[in-house]
Amino acid sequence: MTAPKPAPAKAPLPEPVLNRKNGILMADRRWPTDQWAHPWSLPGYRNGALMLAGIILGILGGGALIGELSKWGDKLYALMAAFATAKGISTVAVDAVWVAIKVLIVLHVILVNGLWSIWWERKISAHIQSRVGPTYAGGFHGWAQTICDGIKLFLKEDITPAAADHWVHALAPAIVIAPCIAAFAPVLFGTDLAAARLDVGTLYVFAFAGISVIGVVMAGWASGNKYSLLGGLRAAAQIVSYELPRGFSVVPVIMFAGSLDLSVIADAQSGYWWGVAPRWFVFYPVVGQVAFLIFLIASIAETNRTPFDIPEAESELVGGFHTEYSGMKWSVFFLAEYAYVLLASFLLATFFLGGGGSPLPWAPFTLVPSWIWMLSKAMFMMFVFLWVRWTLPRLRVDQLMDFNWKFLLPWSFANIAVAGLYLAFWLK
Amino acid sequence: MIGYFSKVYKVAAALVTGHLITLKYMLKPSITIHYPTEKLTPYERFRGALTFDAATCISCSMCVKACPSNCIALENAVSEAGKKVAKVAWYSIDFGKCNFCRLCEESCPTKPKSVWHSLDYEVVFASRDEMVRCWKKDFPFIGKYFDRRTQDFKDPEGQVCIHEVPPRRS
Repeated sequence: MTAPKPAPAKAPLPEPVLNRKNGILMADRRWPTDQWAHPWSLPGYRNGALMLAGIILGILGGGALIGELSKWGDKLYALMAAFATAKGISTVAVDAVWVAIKVLIVLHVILVNGLWSIWWERKISAHIQSRVGPTYAGGFHGWAQTICDGIKLFLKEDITPAAADHWVHALAPAIVIAPCIAAFAPVLFGTDLAAARLDVGTLYVFAFAGISVIGVVMAGWASGNKYSLLGGLRAAAQIVSYELPRGFSVVPVIMFAGSLDLSVIADAQSGYWWGVAPRWFVFYPVVGQVAFLIFLIASIAETNRTPFDIPEAESELVGGFHTEYSGMKWSVFFLAEYAYVLLASFLLATFFLGGGGSPLPWAPFTLVPSWIWMLSKAMFMMFVFLWVRWTLPRLRVDQLMDFNWKFLLPWSFANIAVAGLYLAFWLK
Repeated sequence: MIGYFSKVYKVAAALVTGHLITLKYMLKPSITIHYPTEKLTPYERFRGALTFDAATCISCSMCVKACPSNCIALENAVSEAGKKVAKVAWYSIDFGKCNFCRLCEESCPTKPKSVWHSLDYEVVFASRDEMVRCWKKDFPFIGKYFDRRTQDFKDPEGQVCIHEVPPRRS
């Protein structure tokens, strides 16, 4: 018996060259199905955290612009006054320069808000729809996308249609944006931090915000286009209608605060119930919440945003009153829209969320400067605006009017009545 | 009155539900792929650009007969004695005609297949000459194209690289 021959050593299998890429075997590759099977993945959370960091940085950066400059305000004014008295210049000139500086700062709030909120809206809308939105421009989550788009809009041809009424066509964007900028004068950016302190601040803001609709109607008329005209008329009907519940929903707040001055209204909400719960008007039982919701809904309708965007209504009116606009004129309309969103956010924060007050009465919260609180509340409300916009579909015209005249307006009246009862029996 | 309030409650509850759904989707990672920087690997049976291995091919012309769009052409190699051998002298696929049906691969009798679909979906042809891929001895699997202007074979420019070549089916 001979010993069995040892089996010949098997030659090693040839390296599979073809199905390798970057040293990874095809068999080890993740297929698309694997990728979609675990949507709550680590990179997703990492991106989400980066996104949140971007939002917070944006809030702080935008706020620093207002808050840090305001610290130097009094010193600068004193310096200017001293200079004027030394040179024998009248104080009117000092005040004029001072007002110009404040106007410049508030104007930049509006412009920077345009850049910031359009980018934010794109990101929020993208993430709500499981997309990512702008990613490349600027490096960090496409932060520079709005700047690039702005440059594009600057360079775009400014077209006036042949059928247009040239003067009115050119004037309409200015009439939309000018009252919007003017309406920012008494808006509070923190405790006693406003460009102008007006006794009738609330009335002033609502009055100026109402003027913009004239510009919208002018744009619709002057475009020489029936869809634009329809959009302009719809805008007029809608904005004029929603002015009413918007104004009436603030009446309880004015009754509780006893003033139309925005800073008095904000100060009236200082203090805490039982040492914990802030005395914000939104926390006043029933009346506060109803007023808050009516004001929020009416503000969304005022800014022509999606559940109430029948003036624009891309699928029906090809864009409504700004169909025939391009380039900078078009972007002025959008700037005004986002400025109104910011205005409504600041008003909501002032009227219902305690202005620059801290939500909790303890040390780390009360040490935060008032403008950070104000801005955080306003940005939260702006997020609610975007959230609502990208959740709800558009209403029909008759539904829109029904909702306003048969629901919001009666309830805002009832709200005022209940607020009167509160004043009579509870708040004194 | 009860009907009115229950309707208001139902509508409000529906609105809150909808908003919570969108909030949930906002916090979820997105499902889109950033195409130029991230690329999906197609499924195994994806029919990408055709690739060819001149070393395996026995020059049987089955693929030429199977092709419904008549995009494959080949010529037998001839030995020094003047006899046909089971090798191709040249093999060409006209991607302008190819309809990516996999009939050529199915009809191929060799093991492993000598003509097969890769997973490559990034095929771009910058000129009409590039559409006709040609293979000769020692040409890479993705082949070359014959530039009529300079009268020589060139590597395909539009197809930067084949990202994935699946294991050849036997």
